[in-house]
Amino acid sequence: MRFRSFQARLLSFFVGLLVVVQAGGFLITNAANSDYARRQVIDSLRVTAGIFERLLADRNASMLEAGRLLSGDFAFKTAYATREPGTILSMLQNHRSRIGADVMLLLGLDDRVLADTLHPGRSGVAFDQPGLIDLAYADARGEAAALVLVDGVPYQMAVLPLLIPHHDGWILIGFRVDDGFARALQGLAASEVSVLGPGAGGPRLLASSLETERRRELAAAATVLPEEASAPRVMALGGEEYLSLSVPLPGIAGQGLSALLQRSLDRALAPFRRLQWVLLGLFLLGVLLSLVGGAAIAGTVSRPVWQLARGAARVAEGDYSQRVELHQRDEVGELARSFNHMVAGLAERDRVRNLLGKVVSPAIAEELLSKEIELGGEERQATVLFADIRNFTTLSETRAPREILDLLNTLLTRFSDVIEAHGGVIDKYIGDAVMALFGAPLAHEDDPARAVAAALALSGAVDELNAAGVLGPQPVGVGMGINTGLVVAGNMGSRQRLNYTVLGDGVNLASRLEGLTRVYGVRVVVSDATRRAAPGFAYRELDWVRVKGRGQPERVFEPVAPLEALSPRRRTDLETHARALAAYRGRDWGTAEALLADLPDDVVRRLYLERIAAFRAESPPADWDGSVRFDHK
Amino acid sequence: MSATGVSAAELVFRVESAEGEPLADAAVVAEPLAAGRPAPRAREAGVVDQIDKTFVPHVAVIRSGTAVKFPNRDDIRHHVYSFSPAKTFELPLYKGTPAEPVVFDQPGVVVLGCNIHDFMQGYIYVTDAPYYAVTGADGGARLSGVPAGRYRLHAWHPSQGADAAPAWREVELDDTAERVERFVVEAAGGGLRLRRAPRPGAAGYR
Repeated sequence: MRFRSFQARLLSFFVGLLVVVQAGGFLITNAANSDYARRQVIDSLRVTAGIFERLLADRNASMLEAGRLLSGDFAFKTAYATREPGTILSMLQNHRSRIGADVMLLLGLDDRVLADTLHPGRSGVAFDQPGLIDLAYADARGEAAALVLVDGVPYQMAVLPLLIPHHDGWILIGFRVDDGFARALQGLAASEVSVLGPGAGGPRLLASSLETERRRELAAAATVLPEEASAPRVMALGGEEYLSLSVPLPGIAGQGLSALLQRSLDRALAPFRRLQWVLLGLFLLGVLLSLVGGAAIAGTVSRPVWQLARGAARVAEGDYSQRVELHQRDEVGELARSFNHMVAGLAERDRVRNLLGKVVSPAIAEELLSKEIELGGEERQATVLFADIRNFTTLSETRAPREILDLLNTLLTRFSDVIEAHGGVIDKYIGDAVMALFGAPLAHEDDPARAVAAALALSGAVDELNAAGVLGPQPVGVGMGINTGLVVAGNMGSRQRLNYTVLGDGVNLASRLEGLTRVYGVRVVVSDATRRAAPGFAYRELDWVRVKGRGQPERVFEPVAPLEALSPRRRTDLETHARALAAYRGRDWGTAEALLADLPDDVVRRLYLERIAAFRAESPPADWDGSVRFDHK
Repeated sequence: MSATGVSAAELVFRVESAEGEPLADAAVVAEPLAAGRPAPRAREAGVVDQIDKTFVPHVAVIRSGTAVKFPNRDDIRHHVYSFSPAKTFELPLYKGTPAEPVVFDQPGVVVLGCNIHDFMQGYIYVTDAPYYAVTGADGGARLSGVPAGRYRLHAWHPSQGADAAPAWREVELDDTAERVERFVVEAAGGGLRLRRAPRPGAAGYR
């Protein structure tokens, strides 16, 4: 449906736009957040690495500090000077527990172990980390610290010279780098700390702040000990994603310890995930509201428009009672108001048109409406029919006015129907007379024939109505005159009040002819022009008349019947009549009389017989052409 | 000519570092190889002063059996000690001169230290040899009136370390006016040496 698709278009555009914008925003913020969280985590891992290194350095420094104090301790030197391994070892144990170290050693200048708190029985063996001593020799103060593996356990070991006062040996102090250390660091830096060292078949996890399950996973996952600080990698532990940063730890060359600092990316992203959900919720809410709101707003357009369309369709079918009531104050409401005004206007025009059609005939109404109203007319051929109802005035004396009008209207309605049925047009009603036009404003090929046919039909109608008793006890008569000729047809009157009618001699003649019906006792008198123009009928020539105002005498006829409906008897009569008329005009009174005697008795026959009798008494003048003059109407 | 009239030699030691620099404070000794040691020189008392937080001399060479006094010339106390195998002793915090001198009766290197001043370090080279000296700033030392005969000579410098095994050089001394013996001392690899007293006002060790 058209409007559904408008609504759908509107909705799909706005919702689509919303979806695109929201989705775009969602994706962008998502990416930005992820990126940010990642960078944050990496930054904090770097900080953790810094803290780690710092912690180690600080511990080294404090070990060396403690060591220096020890080295300068006279009691220590004295015990050392005894050269008794047992004494030295117990003194070392004592000092170890004083400073809380995990291991202490004493070495001679020959790098041989004098005492080792971790391995009390061992004495006199070569120290297994000579690299550490090398480091010490490389230092100006003879001090060094490094991460070393002792029995596979990583220790942070510091070495410093034993001075008595000359350098006579090495003091070593060590702290284990174990889970406790890792957890302490984790507590500080909120990053998971693990220490990896070399092992058979791959790196070994030496210490970690991770709990058991993840430790295992990490131990399995660590495949290579990085030589240098590497870029952060992502690792999955316990189902969470961790960003991992490797930091190589200062040790003796070849020891290859490294710290792995890890932070849960998932946890870092958690607040953003929440934000994501909120955004998603907002998005869905937005879509919902868009749909609902969009549908509602589209509805305020599409429903009224649909109503208007339906209304317009009904108006097109002719139902001018349609009104579309909208209570909106917007453009659509305005449209509806305009629509209603328009329909009211159409209804009005329709009524006016109908009225016009009733006041003048529909054909004239059409003619008037189709052109610009202009005064003035055109010359054209037309056939004018005047029909006068006879005996109507007599009727009016015995009846009430209203009744009379009703009867008149009945009659006139019938007349009008007949005339219009024959393609004619009622020009006007003049009291109980009707003036009709055939050929104006619309012309047909056979307008004269139509007029004659209409006249005959009208005559028949009157008979019918009389027979039906509708028109009262007394039969109503009718007299009709028809002429065909050039007339002026057009709008007559003033601009504000005009009449479509015809003017001219031809019109007057028709009127005169109608008057002649009384004279000849016939119902219809047509002019010669009409007769010639309507050859499909049988005519009886009535006379040759000169009417007032016209120079030439006119032959007037009575249409008898359509040719095909003419009975043989009538045909014979018509022929006889024609011969009689010829004889009359030839002053052959006897023949004329004889012929007339054969005809049925009627007004015409009697008229001619009277004339002949008069002419027998007194001959007509020499210039008598057979015509008769009528000076009155 | 010596006092006894036996023909004597002048023995001059020249001690240099491996780079050719004259080494001061090197102990030089000449020990006769002939059987029957000559009469030892009169026992002298040795003195190692502490002046301005420094052992003076830095290296003292004495005959074994010599008693050494350790006068403290400073107005602060010192706690002189040594853990050297040749002589382990200590003179707990004292001022002035301890009543009893310390007898060094074993040959060897005795490293002196002060318990409260880490940088104070001195050496006493105890020798059985009758003829000994310590090189001066020019890296030279002169032994006069050494009777002719066969000797073994030895030079020791603290840079060699306290445990350095002596590298004796055997020589035949005659009555020549002056006999110069050059010794090149290889500093002991890896041995750490501490600097002497810091300059007054200096912040710390360095």
